[in-house]
Amino acid sequence: MCGIAGIMYKDSRSTGLAPIGAELIKMLETMVHRGHDSAGVTVAGESLDSDLLIRIWADESAPAEETIARAKETVISEGGAIVSADARDSYLRLTANYEGDVPRLAEALLQTPGVVLHSIGEASEVIKDVGTPAVMDERHGISRLSGTHGVGHVRMATESKVDISHAHPFWAYPFTDVTVVHNGQLTNYHGMKREFESRGHVFQTENDSELIAVYLADKLAGGAELVSALEASLDDLDGTFTYLVSTRDGMGYAKDRWSAKPLVLMETGSVVALASEEIALRSVFTEELDRTEPQEHEVMTWSA
Amino acid sequence: MVSLDASELTTRELNRRIKASIEEGADEIVIKNPSARHNIAVGVRRPCKITIEGSVGYYAASQLDGPEISIEGNAGWALGENLMSGKITLSKSAGASVAASMRGGEIFIGGSAGARAGISMKGGTLLIAGDSGFLTGFMMQKGRIIVCGDIGDAAGDSMYEGTIYVGGVVDSLGTDAKYEESTEDELIELWAELERNGVAGRPRFRKIVSQKKLYHYDTLERLERTLI
Repeated sequence: MCGIAGIMYKDSRSTGLAPIGAELIKMLETMVHRGHDSAGVTVAGESLDSDLLIRIWADESAPAEETIARAKETVISEGGAIVSADARDSYLRLTANYEGDVPRLAEALLQTPGVVLHSIGEASEVIKDVGTPAVMDERHGISRLSGTHGVGHVRMATESKVDISHAHPFWAYPFTDVTVVHNGQLTNYHGMKREFESRGHVFQTENDSELIAVYLADKLAGGAELVSALEASLDDLDGTFTYLVSTRDGMGYAKDRWSAKPLVLMETGSVVALASEEIALRSVFTEELDRTEPQEHEVMTWSA
Repeated sequence: MVSLDASELTTRELNRRIKASIEEGADEIVIKNPSARHNIAVGVRRPCKITIEGSVGYYAASQLDGPEISIEGNAGWALGENLMSGKITLSKSAGASVAASMRGGEIFIGGSAGARAGISMKGGTLLIAGDSGFLTGFMMQKGRIIVCGDIGDAAGDSMYEGTIYVGGVVDSLGTDAKYEESTEDELIELWAELERNGVAGRPRFRKIVSQKKLYHYDTLERLERTLI
């Protein structure tokens, strides 16, 4: 079934960074009845002391330490200067200074054996794992992360396998900071995937939700504004979908023409919060609140 | 009057306490702090006045037969699913599929309703003071949906029987739906219904019914045909 959540603080310039990690985990924990095989978040608007934040997972094809060492070498050989490298289990969180072309670096990392590229961002990162949000939080310390906004997901796998990389969010490779979480299933996935692959796009998994990330990346590469890309997706994607997208400075949603998958939205002068169910919003905003329910064939974006 | 604080109870405990209180003679129950949780006040089959002070999640007040429930807030999906008899009043707005498979009684929505309102209704009345969403009355079999405001696309799609009245704009009719003239008597009855629920205004409701061209129950089975 899947559950999605998103939150954005509009005035962090004056109020400082918000506990985005902790709040996303709270929201996701209330929705584990919608899915508990995997979870993931994008924490965005982080304060970094480097150009880029790269999140990599080492797959089972080789020992993790070797893959992680190779990934670091790749960054260096592409001209990056590593500022920090935090390796835990099969995960690598790397911050680096890099003045080159990000798509080049991304491709080089993808070509590195064993590397699965979860995200490259200037101010955001994707953290995803199997298990519940609480388990993920314990393993990755998500509740300690601050930012300006973020999106999250709990998964009930329906079309593809359960493993770390098939969890959401999916990164719109190679666009820094653009990530997607999706509730629903896409019925024209295979056809569109073949078409995108023939045009040189890369799919790292067999998850149909990854198509949304690739689709948005394709539109953005063609010069489209995010909101136009979301609007176009309403007609180009077939199936059921409510999805949230997180970008460097903001977020947005798209709802399919069938109004098949739920979404509630709360917006005040200082915050925007979205989730599959109101109970998620109430985990952060505990008093009675005013919220609306976006209807079918609709998109909206917010930027800080 | 019995007061229950939902924040101190699991959903199962809450629903058990509601039923137990009615067994013990309570004719009025107040539920505090529902916090938009799912499955609140389900399966109550005895008359009782229940007030829920706050928003509820999915399947609130579903599978009821007899109670009168008033909810002060919003509801998620499938409010009042399978209502057999009794009354549900929601002060604000309902999500998708309100009154799904409703068989009797009445549901009043003070705000608006989402997509698929009254899906597969089999009786009773669903009254919506505001607007109603996409595919309202989808596969309706019986009963009455009254929308005082506007109604979304595909209104009355694939209806068997039943009637949808719309006071405002109809975005589009669904498959096999058609308009019919409301009689003056019908309008007077509808206005009385509005007044009973504190809804102002007397819209000249448009009526949507089934064309009955999609299904053919007079068609013989293949084997039957060979016998004739």
